[in-house]
Amino acid sequence: MAAVPTTIKLAGPQDTVSIAWSDGHLSSYPYGYLRSKCPCATCEENGPPPNPGTSPSPILGRKPLKPERAELVGRYALQIFWNDGHSTGIYPFDFLHSLCPCPTCTARRAADATG
Amino acid sequence: MKISPQDVLRALATIKDPDLNRDIVSLGFIKELQVEDSRVSFTLQLTTPACPVREQLVAAAKQAVEALGVRDVQVRLTSQVMSGRGRKLELIPQVKNTVAVASGKGGVGKSTVAANLAVALERAGARVGLMDTDVYGPSIPVLMGSNNPPCVVEGKLEPPVEYGIKIISMGYFLPKDEAIIWRGPMLHRTMQQFLGEVRWGELDYLIMDLPPGTGDIQLSLSQTIPLTGAVIVSTPQDLALDVASKAIAMFQKLRVPILGLIENMSYYVCPQCGHREDIFGHGGARAAACKLGFPFLGEIPLDPAIRLQSDAGKPVAIDDTTPCGKAFGEIAGALAAQISRVNAQEPGEIKLE
Repeated sequence: MAAVPTTIKLAGPQDTVSIAWSDGHLSSYPYGYLRSKCPCATCEENGPPPNPGTSPSPILGRKPLKPERAELVGRYALQIFWNDGHSTGIYPFDFLHSLCPCPTCTARRAADATG
Repeated sequence: MKISPQDVLRALATIKDPDLNRDIVSLGFIKELQVEDSRVSFTLQLTTPACPVREQLVAAAKQAVEALGVRDVQVRLTSQVMSGRGRKLELIPQVKNTVAVASGKGGVGKSTVAANLAVALERAGARVGLMDTDVYGPSIPVLMGSNNPPCVVEGKLEPPVEYGIKIISMGYFLPKDEAIIWRGPMLHRTMQQFLGEVRWGELDYLIMDLPPGTGDIQLSLSQTIPLTGAVIVSTPQDLALDVASKAIAMFQKLRVPILGLIENMSYYVCPQCGHREDIFGHGGARAAACKLGFPFLGEIPLDPAIRLQSDAGKPVAIDDTTPCGKAFGEIAGALAAQISRVNAQEPGEIKLE
């Protein structure tokens, strides 16, 4: 059976969403990376905004991007509510698993792409 | 020789539940064990009242204890339906299992199967709800002979009850010759209301009759709640099976377990001469289930009695002495056993922090 998350931490170390998978793998997704991979129809069509995060406040400046909260969708996906107001992206677990940015997974993806 | 409760448990631990493939002691089925001299009594608590092997289990348990030299063994049979260990159903916290009855093609008898499975499960002793999610073509009220629309109690819909089953359907809310012409978001909202704004109360099984296809309603349901699983109904012909495999692919993508396939309109037995005719072919769904590695739950004949009783609002499953009623009873048992199995295998809750 395909891997499912056992634990999802929205506030993982160093501004990442970290997911522990049932196959033992551990994935850490930097917020910006995950936001840039948003699979919603708008982002697929127009691409993600160049500089996500809350709009700049005159005094405090732009706040860094982070997820405000998230919800599980049925049995298969995670919906993330970003602090820039965007929340239409539903990230299926398979998709998240395939996005893992760790060196091993990145190398395997590169090998799959060339091989 | 004096017999201790441990002796009895050791004897009972040799009996395996064939569905869950574990012994009945470690599964926690044995309750209220009492041992007095040569009298032993206990409660055998199964995971569903529709358990197809309950009689065999009781007999085997009795025999195992009697083999210890006990003459008087009393077994009480009860059941406590389990739900999966996964995420709680926030919208319907008191509903233990949600089962989608689906197909690819229309007209294969999903609604008839859904209604009769609900009746058969209720007859076995389960608490059952029936949700008609086919907003465009609701047929559950007619199949269940239900004319009383839900009333509003404390701001929520009180579902009408027929044959002991709580029912909700769009059919209650619009005049017969009116049509619903909606796009996705309205359908989504309706599904959420059917789940969260209906007084379902405590249910062992909520059976959901899905519309044909792989569209808005199927997606809405699979996203709104973690379904226990889906049952796929098909006729035996290749064309219907081809499309059924698309429904299976959808549920797999959404990680909804496939509980099994049911072959409807499986064969026809001539009431005049008893000759059997396989009008749409036969065995196609069983072969497809076997090929794809899913359980085959059973077959239902093409019998005019089903059509006549369905139109009259009297589901055939209310009488399990008829061939069709018996078929539905057996399929409901196989389905309930499969639900217990899927729940037992389910990984724990996903922790979201």
